Amino acid sequence: MNEIPLIYFLMVSALLFSVGLAIMLLKRNMIFVLMGIELMLNAANLNLIAFSRHDDRIQGLAFSVFVLVVGVCEMTIALAIILQVYRQFKHIDLGSEKSRF
Amino acid sequence: MSPMIASFLVLTMLTSASALAMAWTKNLLHAALSMFLCMLGLAGLYVMAYADVMAVSHLLIYVGGVLILILFGIMLTQQPGKVRAEMQNDLETKQSGRFWAMSISISTFLGIIWILTRSSITWAMYSDEAQKSSKLTYLGLTLLTEYSFAFELVGVFLLVALVGSTYIAKHHE
Repeated sequence: MNEIPLIYFLMVSALLFSVGLAIMLLKRNMIFVLMGIELMLNAANLNLIAFSRHDDRIQGLAFSVFVLVVGVCEMTIALAIILQVYRQFKHIDLGSEKSRF
Repeated sequence: MSPMIASFLVLTMLTSASALAMAWTKNLLHAALSMFLCMLGLAGLYVMAYADVMAVSHLLIYVGGVLILILFGIMLTQQPGKVRAEMQNDLETKQSGRFWAMSISISTFLGIIWILTRSSITWAMYSDEAQKSSKLTYLGLTLLTEYSFAFELVGVFLLVALVGSTYIAKHHE
């Protein structure tokens, strides 16, 4: 039986989530922050799929399809907003308009 | 070590190394390339979890769609005529910002790992036989019978997002 334990998937997912959180907190560019959010979404998706492996009714797999669609919609809307922000301010750096801490 | 575990470790190394490279680099295009590698590794991990249909759709959507969208976003939001050193991304250079980001993310990671190692005993009831067959037929039937309302709602949601993003992105003069 060559079965991968569930805890391996959960650990990879935890690593991806925390790296996405680090990217989101560390970077100033808006596109970079969006990439971090996508990484966190995919970590949650990996969790759903790994738990759905032991399910007869594949509820996690069906839910991950909807998570994928919502992530893509969020990406398109956010890139359109970023484009408008670039037209308004001529840069897309977060937190550079007001005073930094 | 069984070949399944070995290939899982290789895919894990690819995914986590490219994610860490994404966090490390300051260049936005390098980050897009790292995100491509990360998505490839994630699709391999989905195959390892017997979700082949999800792996294929993930490859189609992320590598084919979202990454192209990100590259277009990068190209449309760069100032023309800048020198190469200024085209790189502005990383958080203040020490406090990097400190808080690193400490929050590392403590999140350690907290999740702590919770996982503490609660792994209670998952013994889930660890029966895994479904090893392809789930394409069953997923299609489930989406069109049990989740049909959510499926239609997602279609309407995609249409709303498409029209809304084109409306937001146009010139408002």
